[in-house]
Amino acid sequence: MSRLKKLAAIFLALTMVFSFSFALTGCGEEEEGSGVLNIYMWSDYMSDDFVAGFEEETGVKVNISYMNSSEEATAKLTAGGGDEYDLVMPCDADMTGLIEGGYLEEINLDNITNFEYLDDAYKNREFDPENKYAIPYLMNYVYVVYNPETCPVEITGYEDLLSPELEGEIASVDGIRNLFPMALVALGYDPNSTKDSEIEEAYEWLKDYMKNVKYLNSDDAEKELISSGCSVGFIFDGMFTRVLPEDDTWEVAALEDPIQLGVDEFVIPAGAKNKENAEAFLNYMLDPENMAANMKDGHEYTCPNSAAVELMPDSYKKSKAFDLPGDLRENYFLQLDVGDAMKTYDKYYTMLKSE
Amino acid sequence: MNEKNGITVKDKKSWFRRNGPVLSTTGPISVWMLVFVLIPMLYIIFISFMTRDVYGGIVYDFTLDNYKEIIQPLYLKVIWKSLKLAFITTVICLLLGYPLAYYIAGKPSKTAAKLIMLVMIPYWTNSLVRLYSVNLLGATNGPINNILMDIGLISEPLDMLYSDGIVVIGLLTAMLPFSVLPLYASIEKLDKSLLEASRDLGARPHITFLKVTIPLTMPGIVGCVLLVFIPSLGMYYVPEALGGGKVMLIGSLVRNQFLVTKNWPFGASLAILLVLMTLAMVWIYTRVSKMDDLEVF
Repeated sequence: MSRLKKLAAIFLALTMVFSFSFALTGCGEEEEGSGVLNIYMWSDYMSDDFVAGFEEETGVKVNISYMNSSEEATAKLTAGGGDEYDLVMPCDADMTGLIEGGYLEEINLDNITNFEYLDDAYKNREFDPENKYAIPYLMNYVYVVYNPETCPVEITGYEDLLSPELEGEIASVDGIRNLFPMALVALGYDPNSTKDSEIEEAYEWLKDYMKNVKYLNSDDAEKELISSGCSVGFIFDGMFTRVLPEDDTWEVAALEDPIQLGVDEFVIPAGAKNKENAEAFLNYMLDPENMAANMKDGHEYTCPNSAAVELMPDSYKKSKAFDLPGDLRENYFLQLDVGDAMKTYDKYYTMLKSE
Repeated sequence: MNEKNGITVKDKKSWFRRNGPVLSTTGPISVWMLVFVLIPMLYIIFISFMTRDVYGGIVYDFTLDNYKEIIQPLYLKVIWKSLKLAFITTVICLLLGYPLAYYIAGKPSKTAAKLIMLVMIPYWTNSLVRLYSVNLLGATNGPINNILMDIGLISEPLDMLYSDGIVVIGLLTAMLPFSVLPLYASIEKLDKSLLEASRDLGARPHITFLKVTIPLTMPGIVGCVLLVFIPSLGMYYVPEALGGGKVMLIGSLVRNQFLVTKNWPFGASLAILLVLMTLAMVWIYTRVSKMDDLEVF
């Protein structure tokens, strides 16, 4: 009898599992068709009016789901389920893996006539020489800011951040691919190095850096600047825009070293069901007027579309967060996919954090 | 299936009558556990023996490297530190929770219910909000520093944030009710006449406490240890929010393997290690509570 009971239980379990998965596929089918566009992106990163404008213009219904980290976006694409979306926003550090792995659909530039408005610096990039896979949305710099009234040293390069006078004075973004490239640049190496010896040297450099760091967090490092707990920040430009309204004595340091630029890319996942709508959306997004309206509506970030920047008010164009000193704006480097070296980075990063 | 000639229609009916209630009550949770716990767990075990490919995917090549990797001093250090902080948190929870639970258990049941409610009320707030309030309290220009400076006890603000100490405080604020509740449950069940007997037989209060109260409330103590120690071990948002990003514990390490480094196989092997540590704790618990059962009844 107990064997029968077991069989029945298994049967019941299987029935439930299958009815469950049928229910799921049922949902998927409903959303297919020409009238929708499913986007997976950062939350609070695009104006509602901007999206509504696109819906009005094209009659396409836009559904946006939100991610908490760029790793989630990449995981969505690689672990399956990417085809539930038509546009996904990974960061450029993951692009090579995504392209090589065949996780992306090619973008048909014929459908994107506004592509010309994208600044040349963001076309034909190393990981996507023919502009087949990724269109930049907005971007962020990671730079050094300081409070001229309290900062005890002059900062002209990353090396200055190791000054013993800055002990406990730095609030910094976290993350393997934000910290190590800075150290590699300071040491004169490729910021996307894959050489074990160079990564190890960068680790030694960062050990000294950590002595000066008071707070390390990629979400809210700026709060230590606002509360005047720190006099130097190594932070995203978006964080700096939150510091300035509280205290406008802060300045971006005029570094001689290149600064890191992170680009939030839009890509079309392989197997996306509404590819034409996705392309229509990218075209709409690249229109300077649309993009400027989007930024004016509370989304002021660094923009790869100079024509859109032209349309912005002076409060944006002259903001210390975006109007960078010297040639910093041109003197940047990107995060590229480092492949297997990531394991080495992770090992040294863990060491750094468990001193 | 003991029937030799198959099941008759009547048998079938009675079979359902007999087993229907069991299936309908335990069926859903069994399916839930199967689909959302057992299968993912098996998958984690499976990929912990696989290899990471160049761009962070999983290659189905069998390897033991992920487990060998853990034995490196670097990772042992992280594990050791996690165990240490979880242990300190557990001990403090016990030291704070036991007297409190004992006090509450000594009250009439109506008052006790109200006091237990008071223990739980702070937990109606989101735990992240509570953690950040710890952060705000200890900030350089936060209330504690301001008050101390105003009354002239200190001249420079104290640097309280971002250390192992504040991570432990954060873990304590998260875990304290989980220590009070099981302790209360077992102290409340304690037969007071046994304490009287001990006193009548001439034991002094602290002897009674050590020889009678503690052994009898051992299931509560072990329950408290389990409920505090295991979550403290894996909780990664507390060190993340309060450690200033400079305290790496095993929870963050696992998260990094899955999300940042995209080394799922290694992350899986670390997760398995966490599960094994948890199982070891539970095994100890079953041993202790069995022993206790024998003594009481």
